[in-house]
This record gives sequence, structure tokens and C-alpha cells, in this order.
Amino acid sequence: MKAPFSPYLDRIVPGLKQLLILLGREYPYVSVLSTDSAGFAVRISQRSKSVSEKTMTTERGSVVRVWKDGRVSEVSFNRFDPDRPEETAQALLSSLRAQRDMLCAVSCPVYTTPPIPDEACQVRFEADTELLPEKTDMEKLIGSLTEISDSGMKKGSHMIDLSVSAQSTHISKLFLTANRDMRQSYVYSEGSVSAICSENGRMEVGHEGLSGRRGPEIFSGLTDCLDKALSTADELLRGERVVPGEYDIITTPEVTGLIAHEAFGHGVEMDMFVKNRALGSEYIGRRIASPLVTMHEGALCAESVTAYAFDDEGTLAGDVTEIEHGILRSGICDTLSALRLGCAPTGNGKRENYEHKAYTRMTNTLFDSGDSTLEEMIASVRYGYLLSGMQSGMEDPKHWGIQCIIDRGYEIRDGKLTGKIVTPVIMTGYVPDLLGSVTMVSRDREVFGNGGCGKGHKEWVKVADGGPCLKARARLG
Amino acid sequence: MTVEEIIGLLRSCGADAWEITQTTEETWEFYFIRRRLDQNRVRSVEHIRVKVYRKSPDGQYLGSAQGEIYPTSSPEEAEKNIRTLLRSASYVKNPVYTLRKPEESASDPENGPIPSPSSVAEDFIRAVNQVPESASEDINSWELFVTSGQRRFLNSEGIDKTENTTSSALEIVLNARDASHEIELYRMYQSGTCDAETLVRDITETLAIGKNKLTARPTPALRKADVLFSNAAVLPVYEYFTDRMNAAFIVQGISDWKKDDPIAQARYDTITVSAVKTLPNSSANHAFDPEGAPTRDLVLIERNIPKNFYGNRQFSEYLSLSDSFQAENFRFEGGSETEESIRKGDYLEVLEFSDFQVSPLNGDIAGEIRLALWHCGGEVIPVSGGSVSGTMTDFVRTMRMSRALRHSDNYVIPAFTRLQGVTVTGAEAE
Repeated sequence: MKAPFSPYLDRIVPGLKQLLILLGREYPYVSVLSTDSAGFAVRISQRSKSVSEKTMTTERGSVVRVWKDGRVSEVSFNRFDPDRPEETAQALLSSLRAQRDMLCAVSCPVYTTPPIPDEACQVRFEADTELLPEKTDMEKLIGSLTEISDSGMKKGSHMIDLSVSAQSTHISKLFLTANRDMRQSYVYSEGSVSAICSENGRMEVGHEGLSGRRGPEIFSGLTDCLDKALSTADELLRGERVVPGEYDIITTPEVTGLIAHEAFGHGVEMDMFVKNRALGSEYIGRRIASPLVTMHEGALCAESVTAYAFDDEGTLAGDVTEIEHGILRSGICDTLSALRLGCAPTGNGKRENYEHKAYTRMTNTLFDSGDSTLEEMIASVRYGYLLSGMQSGMEDPKHWGIQCIIDRGYEIRDGKLTGKIVTPVIMTGYVPDLLGSVTMVSRDREVFGNGGCGKGHKEWVKVADGGPCLKARARLG
Repeated sequence: MTVEEIIGLLRSCGADAWEITQTTEETWEFYFIRRRLDQNRVRSVEHIRVKVYRKSPDGQYLGSAQGEIYPTSSPEEAEKNIRTLLRSASYVKNPVYTLRKPEESASDPENGPIPSPSSVAEDFIRAVNQVPESASEDINSWELFVTSGQRRFLNSEGIDKTENTTSSALEIVLNARDASHEIELYRMYQSGTCDAETLVRDITETLAIGKNKLTARPTPALRKADVLFSNAAVLPVYEYFTDRMNAAFIVQGISDWKKDDPIAQARYDTITVSAVKTLPNSSANHAFDPEGAPTRDLVLIERNIPKNFYGNRQFSEYLSLSDSFQAENFRFEGGSETEESIRKGDYLEVLEFSDFQVSPLNGDIAGEIRLALWHCGGEVIPVSGGSVSGTMTDFVRTMRMSRALRHSDNYVIPAFTRLQGVTVTGAEAE
């Protein structure tokens, strides 16, 4: 079935179009993004259970963007009567005038932005899904999550709790200007199993997740996640600390994705180029990685949690080749940054929700596959670690530093896994050094979309990342 | 939909119990690239969040489900939402607990007029404009968010409280440069309104330390070293203690701390921390918590001994905590050290991390060093790169803290903190 577009948004379209006309009397460019996204989040553990209709992306509201004399302004609001658009127009104009007056009082100069183009575009996109979150049988879902939690407590050792979560969101977004009418709807879902265990005073969490641009039908896969989460928890309890130093590493696809995202993805968000906050701007056309490294970014790259048809500024989704055989080809760009840099936007203008500003943000950030097998890669390592599971990462585009906190490392000596495990593993380094050290790339590839991505320490959006296994050299601590 | 209409629907749909939180907020946002305005925004929104409860027929369980009724929802849509929530709540089986009653709730706050985001925003812009810049140190970009509004909490037991709220956030990126390269430093300031003097002083000091990063060498492979924290980067260390005293973390097994059972035998300083009702200019000053409970001062840990856990109604009742609440302001006591004594010997003073994290589950710390000062044999060497790691369960035994305190939004913490025997992975080739 198709994920149907929001009837509420369809209903307010005439009122919004009238709002655009009213605001257009004062501003040469006016757009409105309106959203109506519903979903649920269920979390079941032995110790507490919760159900909410709020996920990271559930929302209903609108944001108007206006441009005049080089200045860009926005108003976010969630009270709108489609039969009285003039009331909203008056309120918005009054707010913007009040801000303009205050800015005049403090003599604030403006960073001038060229006029925002408004070429005609019509989009109607409804993605396929098997089930819709709003039609989910909650009794059945809660029952199956409870079974997984109960079963995990029986199967696992040293268990404190076993938490199972399931979230699904039906996104509907509408983008209108004088010349554009774009409507999209799709469903994405994510779930996870977390096994909390303790032994000899040490506590650890084994975690396994799944996600995709699919409906709640994906939660049938959580049973498979259980065994992996329990196994990981056991391994973490046996883990030792890594001796700090530089090692040969093999990254599993989840860690490869973390590198793609933190080590490189943030570094080519071109709103950072506008502010001169990213080294990447100086390296376009230059070698920054091994010839084995090719990386893509774009909502069209994979059917993940962020596989939309157009972004939050009404730009169609793209597929950008960021690195081609080690050469930095392109960054990704939102509309306003593109105007300032004189390039084309890439469909990466995203907002946390309608209440937030749009920034250049990642969608799917993926390394391309190579031609090695994981077995060949392990056999080639004299002393190092196979790194698996991600905890978190942090970008540093200005200095191209990386911080990746990885769940665990499996020791490799003389081409064989020894059974020794280290945890947690902090991988740091200089991005071109790390990517330049890639010597093997595996044939398979996986995409991960659990969790969210912040810009600095805020502005959380859904992203996905991944790739194959990589063999490289890195500093671990 | 209005709150009163929603209450009518909750009653007609047969909710056993319910809670409603209505927030009405206006935010003024300004985005700057250097001194020029990149974009200005207004955010004017109302949120009505509803939580419904259903008891199991045998009275042993209380289920809940929560959602939002939008201001633009039709009565039919709102009723459908509430019925769906009630159905979901009936499948959720948590041990029974009670909702807060009016006699247990906060007294009515003394609300003055809602402050204008305009005047607070203007104060911030004028403050940042005062920051002295030079050819080698300046502001790269900054984002300002000033929110004012009202928060109203109601429940089916009869609580109905309203308070005015104000909060601000300033994110700023600073540059320092020499002939060969440019570096950046990042700061995020959160507060109630604008404390211009403190803000200008802190940004000016941060610009000054940027010079160090220009000359920073790769962090040496120290293996183990003492790490000194002398700014707000240390906050995750102190949040580790307050998180582990949260009733939710106790019930869920994330924290294994027990009342009156010392968290560690300390060789030097011990932890004493209280939840406090208010802190000057904190963005977390509230007369009542998200469930209508009065906020107040409460000792949480006294000399490393847990005294009182805190938390929401559900988890507090499970732990038989009377009169608990969801604390947001915390005040730590200082330790025994002066700045001079805590700086004795060799140590790594970390001024900036990429992202410093402390796990509330097992105390693991992790952070990449963006800028530190390696104090070694009387020399002070700026260093960058590498990481710190280890676990708070070890560090708490030998942690040293200054008597002097530092205030950062909703936390008062020791101005200087020294952790012994931290694993430091260097950035220079071994």
C-alpha cells in the first residue's frame, strides 16, 4: 500500500496559498513548509513500560520563509485557521516588523543573500509501506515486545533488565511557494533491543537495532536482535581496556558508517563553508583518502529512515558523490548556502521540525563497496582490532579531527581473532590520515538508521550511514 | 482545541485519570555570521500534551499513554486521539501508583508579567557586540535563542498551576589565527536571561585561550596522567552523580546506589550535592515540576553517602520516596583544595573536548582532546588531539576538588576538579 498524504494538510492548502499571496504583497519570495506527522513510540522492559504518540519526528505546524532586500526571515507557528489566513498574515508580519525594529535599534548589518529562485515544481510522492503506524494493533505489538523482553531475561546471564523499543512515524510534508506545490508522505520505523547486565560490580548494555523506510512490519525482526544483544552484553562484561596506541583496524559496517558520518559527513556540510568553519572547502578536487575510498551522500542513496523525495526547503532529493577514488569531489548544500556559495543545492536542507531553522544536514552517508572479504581482511592483520558497535561520535570540521566511541574491539593477532575483547574503544585522529590509510574494502554493505544526529550539540534530525568493512590504521584509547 | 474542551473529552471518554501540560511560547532567534545577521526567526507555538491513565480491572496495574492534541485538531480528531491513547494505556502494565493531589502540589507561583523576548534578545546582542576582537582572535558565528512563555499543568486530581518561563541559549564559535592557520573554539551558554558581564568575560577569556591552540603540539602518549578540569567542560562528571540519584535510574537498574551506602571510599575529597529550588539566572528555575510537585532544596549525597533520591511520581512511589520531585537545579559543595594546591605536580588541564561523555550506567568517561595544557616539570605546553578514558568508579576514590565554586546555568560545581590516573591516548607518533 501507499502511505497516504495527510488529509489535514490537503484541507489547509487553499488557506496556505492565500497566506502566501497576502505575504507576497510585502515580500518578493515567500514559502511555507507545513507538516503533519503522526507516530508512536513503545518501550517495554521488565521494570517499566511506556507508550507515547511522540517520536523524534512527530509534529504538526508550519514555517514561513520570506526574502526581501537580501534578508531572510522565518516564522514558525502551529495555530492556523485556513478560513482566516489574513489573521495569520497580520500576526506574522507584526512579528517580523518587531524583530526588524529591534535589529535597527542595535544597528545590525545584514549578511546579504541573493534572491531565492522559485522555479515551478509539482511533486506528489507516497512511498510504499506494508503497515501504517496509526493502524497498528497496539495490544499485539506490546504483547510481542513483552515476549521478547521476558524471553531475554530467561536466556541471558547476569541480566538486570531487557528493554525493547519500537517507533514508527508516518511523515507528511507540504511545501508551497507561488510556483511550487510539493507533497510527500512516507513511513519509517526503528526498533532496538538493549540487554542490561552486571557482573562483579561492572554494568554493561548490549544493544542491537533495526530501521528502514518501512512500516511497523519491521518489528518482526526484533526477535533476531535479541540474540545479538545478549551475545554483545556477554562480550562487554568480559571486555578489557585497550592499551592506548595506534593499531591496524577493521571496521564493521556500523563503525564504517560512524566514520562516514563523523569523520567526513559533517566536514562537507557547506553551510560550514559559508562560515569558513570547514577544512573541506580547501580540498575540493584534491586527494583526501585512499584510492579505494568512494563515498556517496543523499536521500536517494538508500531506502532508509531519511529517504525523502524533497528536503525541508523544497529541493528535490539527490545523490552526491562526495569522494571518488580518494578525491574530494563535492560537498552537500542547503538552499541559502548554495546561493551564497554560487552552487546548486543538493537536497540536504533539513530542520529538526517546523519550529527549527534549516541547516545543511546529512541524509544517507555511505562508503561504496570494494572487492575484499572480511576473512581476507582479518587474515591480513598482524596485530589489531576488529571494531564493532557504535556508541557515539563528534565532528570537528574545522580541524578535521574525529572522535568515535565504539562499543568493542575484537583482538586480531597474526591474522586470527584471539577471542580477547576490549571495551569501550575511543578512536581519534585526523580525517585524511584515517581515510588515507584504508587498504582494503569489503564487498558487502549495510545501512543503519537508528538514533539521531545533532549539529554541534543541538538540532537533532534522522540520518542514516553505513558501508562495507574497511581496513585502516587508527589511534585507539 | 482549548484545554477546557480537551478536559471535557477526557471525561466523556472515561479516562480513569489524566494529566495535561500546556505550553505557550514565543522564541526570538537570531543567527549571525561574524557581526552580520544571517537570518532572524520567530517561533510562536502552543503545545498541549495529554497523558491518560487506565487501571487494570484487578487494580494492580496502572497503564498510561501520552500524546499531543494540536491546537488545530478538530473535536472529532481530538476525541479519536484520546480514545486511541486510552486503548493503548489499557495494554500497559506498570505497578499501580497514584497521581499527585492538590494538597501535595506547589502553592501558586507569584507570576509577574511575561518578560519580552525582545528586550532579553537585545541585551544579548549588545553584550556580544561588546566582546573585544582583534586581527588574531574574533567571533566566527553565533546563534541566539530567547524564549518566554507560560507553562500550565493540570491533572484529574484537581491540580491547576501556571507559571511564566524564560530561557535563553547562546551558541558561539570563536576563531584564533596566526600567519599559517586558523583554529576554532565552541561554547554554548544557557541561562534564564542575559548576564552580560559574565558572558562578555567568559567569551573574552575563551578568545584568549584560542591562542594556545595555535601553538598546540600533538598530545604526548602519556598513558596515565592526572587530568585537571578548570571550566564547564567538567559538567558531565558532576551529572554522573545527579543522574545516578534519579529514582528512574534506580528503578531501571541503571544505578545501583543505595541509601546510606557509600558510593566509594574517598582518599581525598567527597561528594556532597543538593537539589535546589532556584539558582541565580538558571534556565531551570521552576515553582513546580512537570507533575505539579513543589520544587525545593534537598540533600542528595552527603560526603559520598546517598541520602535522598529524587524523581517523578511513578518511580518515586516505587521507591517509597515521600514528597519527591523532579529536580533540575543542583549545587555541589566545594572540596578541600585551593587552586594553588590542586595545581601541584604534573597534570593535563583539558580546556576543550570534541564531546566529553560520562556513562551513568558504568561511569566510563570518554572524550577527544581539542585543547589542553600539559603542565610538566614547571613547563606549560599547549597540546591537542588524543583522548581521555577511564571510569568514574575508580576516579571517585581519588577525586580532588577546589573549595572555590563555579556556576553554570543549573549547576554549581567546584571551580577545579582533578581526576587521578586517567588514561590519556596521545596524538603524537609513538
